Amino acid sequence: MPTINVYKWRILNELKINESKLEDLLFNLKSEMKPIDQDHIEIEINNDRPDLLFVYGIIRAIKGLLKRELGEAKYQVKDTDYLFEVKEVKSRPYALSAIVENIKLDDELLKELIQFQEKLHVTVGRKRKKIAIGLHDLDKIDSKHILYTTVDLNYKFVPLNSSKEMIVKEVLEETEQGKEYGTISLYNGKMPAIMQSDGQILSLPPVINAEKTRIETSTRNLFIDVTGTSLDTVIFTLDLIVTNLAEMGGKIGRVKVLSPYAEFSPVLRHSSIKISIDYINNVLGTQLTKDEIIELLKMARFDVNDIGSELEVIIPPYRNDILAQIDITEDVAMTYGYANLIPSPYKVGKIGELTEKTKITRVIRDLSIGAGFTEIFTFILTNDSYLIGNFVKILNPVTIDYNAVRNSLIPSMLQFLSKNQHARMPIKVFEVGEVVVENEKSETGYSNKLNAVYSIMNSKVSFEELQAPVHYILSNLGISVEYKKAQHPFLIDGRTALIYCNGKKIGIIGEVKPEILEKLKIEYPIAISEIYLDEIKELL
Amino acid sequence: MLSENEIKILEYLAKVKEASAENISKQLNIPLDTVFSISRLLKEKGYIELEEKEHIKYELTEEGKRRLNEGFPEEKLLNTLAGKEGKIKDLKEKIGKDFDIAIGWAKRKGLIKIEDDNIIPLVQVYEAKEEKEALKKPEDAKEEIIQQLLYRKMLIKKTEKELYLRLIKETVETKPSITFLTSELLVSGEWRKYTLREYNVEAFPPFYSLGKKHFFKEFLEKLRDLMKELGFKEVYSDYIEMEFYNFDLLFQAQDHPAREIHDSFAITGKGKIADEKLIEKVRQIHEKGWKYTWDVNIAMRLMLRSQTTATTARVLASRPKPPIKVFTIGKVFRPDSIDATHLIEFHQLDGLVIEDGYNFRDLLGTLKEIFNGIGIKEIKFKPAYFPFTEPSVEVYGKIEGLGWVEMSGAGLLRPEILEAVNISSSAGAWGIGIDRLAMLLFGLKDIRLLYASDVEYLRNRKVDINAYY
Repeated sequence: MPTINVYKWRILNELKINESKLEDLLFNLKSEMKPIDQDHIEIEINNDRPDLLFVYGIIRAIKGLLKRELGEAKYQVKDTDYLFEVKEVKSRPYALSAIVENIKLDDELLKELIQFQEKLHVTVGRKRKKIAIGLHDLDKIDSKHILYTTVDLNYKFVPLNSSKEMIVKEVLEETEQGKEYGTISLYNGKMPAIMQSDGQILSLPPVINAEKTRIETSTRNLFIDVTGTSLDTVIFTLDLIVTNLAEMGGKIGRVKVLSPYAEFSPVLRHSSIKISIDYINNVLGTQLTKDEIIELLKMARFDVNDIGSELEVIIPPYRNDILAQIDITEDVAMTYGYANLIPSPYKVGKIGELTEKTKITRVIRDLSIGAGFTEIFTFILTNDSYLIGNFVKILNPVTIDYNAVRNSLIPSMLQFLSKNQHARMPIKVFEVGEVVVENEKSETGYSNKLNAVYSIMNSKVSFEELQAPVHYILSNLGISVEYKKAQHPFLIDGRTALIYCNGKKIGIIGEVKPEILEKLKIEYPIAISEIYLDEIKELL
Repeated sequence: MLSENEIKILEYLAKVKEASAENISKQLNIPLDTVFSISRLLKEKGYIELEEKEHIKYELTEEGKRRLNEGFPEEKLLNTLAGKEGKIKDLKEKIGKDFDIAIGWAKRKGLIKIEDDNIIPLVQVYEAKEEKEALKKPEDAKEEIIQQLLYRKMLIKKTEKELYLRLIKETVETKPSITFLTSELLVSGEWRKYTLREYNVEAFPPFYSLGKKHFFKEFLEKLRDLMKELGFKEVYSDYIEMEFYNFDLLFQAQDHPAREIHDSFAITGKGKIADEKLIEKVRQIHEKGWKYTWDVNIAMRLMLRSQTTATTARVLASRPKPPIKVFTIGKVFRPDSIDATHLIEFHQLDGLVIEDGYNFRDLLGTLKEIFNGIGIKEIKFKPAYFPFTEPSVEVYGKIEGLGWVEMSGAGLLRPEILEAVNISSSAGAWGIGIDRLAMLLFGLKDIRLLYASDVEYLRNRKVDINAYY
């Protein structure tokens, strides 16, 4: 979940509340706060609420919860004489822009505005792939006609935080942003660019802005561009930014757009959802009246029209998380307060039941404890060098120690024993656990198998010493077994047997080869046995 | 345990109560050295006490021996007289050098009288019986006899130190001892001949490897029991999963940040789903809801499941007939850096209720019941966001000494999902991360201890009767 750092005095002063009240209110907005230092707090925001990634979005929501402002916030919008022309940009076809005037920035707020842009890049923008945002000082732009087009790699401009002119190719290869985002929209040797009518680059989406239009604390008017691969997200992001800046006191300026998909921007798109009182009460288990619900929706900053049997809820442009009636219902619950929703008394109903896997696991565990074995618990993931035969390899392991999924419990057991050379002997241990094997019949081509593994490590051990308990665990399940001499890469020839029941292989038992012990730095002999519980389940 | 000689000595002492080592040696025919060493052992074992006594002893002199063999001079005199008077001169010749002694002692004992040079016997016959007895057994003799014999240099008096053994504990052990009682001894009755050696019963025993259940596995089983008691049926699915069940069916957009490569473990290969209708439905809800082009190939990619909600998704895909209450407990896998609070594989408990009219308060009631069952009495609910539920809620529980801890994510399943699997009832679902919860409940400082690779840690862990509920 994204987090933002906020200068706390601004939010406390704007809302005239104390810190613990703020914490409670944020809790009801799915958010959490924790102090960073005397003046700053870190707020965790949920992925569905990008409108809260800027302090003024949070202030707007809290004003509703405190009933200081109800319904949708109304922002002034004026038409401007700016023209935004969109040319064909195959790799990043959509772009829109807007103007916000009369904003007042200080050091903290400028930092938070840049942070807002960055957080949107990561979340809504999917690391700038889906959308990217350019923030410009409008007063540093020399033309009222701005273009979105492509430039080739030799095109020159001065990128942000640089003093020298560079060609696009250098920007992509040498700047930090170029290295990270340079390939996203590079197509046929061309990069998307936003430029003045005289050809001066303002930004190179989704990589970097030009130094020319850098925003500073002295900036009063903003030009904002949003480019991307999803028109919907481009529209939404621009709406989100301008409404949050308007909440701060800015005035939204509409720009004329020359494009196949829009005539002006920001679109400030509204939609509406019709919903009945019964629907809300049935979902939540409440008995709220129509008036109460209207009040709660207004506290959630929705405008509501009462149209008789239903309510028409108007969705503000910055709420892209409201897809259906159910999302409206959640907002009702949130403003009502989850703490005020009394949990229903629980009714058990039908008797529950456990899987066969659980049942056999329990029986085997009991018998194994009875046989004097201590239960161990090891990881499913392991290093592939311990495994033999077919097994699942992880394509993107975080560490080489865990780059494969075990297909047998024997390697897990041997690794465990190798770490217990200094423990008191004898070590008699067992585990019931899952392994993963290939299985053509399954949808994925693999399936889990439930196995049990038994082992004795001591200064002296014998096949028989382990065979006896294993044998009688099986015979207690009513399974009569046969032992057939066998070979296994880990086990000593002539001291290894496969265990069968009715011609079905149900396990293996043997003493571990000294060369294997040596490889694992084990200084004591080991007898080991693996039993296939899925096969046994079939026999019971 | 007592040896044969020890037993012999104790038996002898049982008769006499006290005896000197020498005496014992003689009586029992045990070398004196052996008696000495045994007496020390018996003292240690508390059967006897030892005392050194000063002890007067009369020893036969050469003279004494001779008189014992040859007879006393006064006997000779009286035998020679044979009841008749005799001349001194004659008798002197007959008796020889002992004559003076004979005359002296015979007179002292009133056996003769002397008139002129005649010796008149006063007794017919005489034998120095008492004296001879005294020479043989000085210890039984009368004091005056002893004095006489000392005077006559037949005995000499010596003072000796001697070790005395005195019985202080009656022993029942009067048989040879053995260590093990055996079946043979019992069957034959031979056990009666032996006593069983005493052990040092106050010493600690050798190490014993106990069969013992694993504390965390046991915790998982208790959770299964709890869910069963609450009326849930357990379900199960595999670790290797298709993205379709892990994400797509759960309305998680294909470009959702949680689907990025570093958030789940990828596996080579593609799965296959025969249910074309379901795939089509899922495509529709994604394209309508998230406004992008859904790609079936991405949905078929293999991964290690990152949430047990994949199991819930499989239950939904089977288009079950409500009412339904199912749960699963199983491992999930997520890339992370492993440390004291993070593992890359851990357990989740996922639950699903599908019931006509199941509402949000019912879901909160279900969650409350589960957490109360785990032993967490105080919980609170926080609004939350999950792609597949709405309204969504996070459950926080209060843990002694730690405060509020996030424990579960839950919500009512989104109508889009229910529609995709033709379910018209409402449904609630939740997931609980088990390992971190267990770590807190067990009071562990390091989550890795749940999978401790040190057998001694498992052996030494106290089994707490209150550990689970």
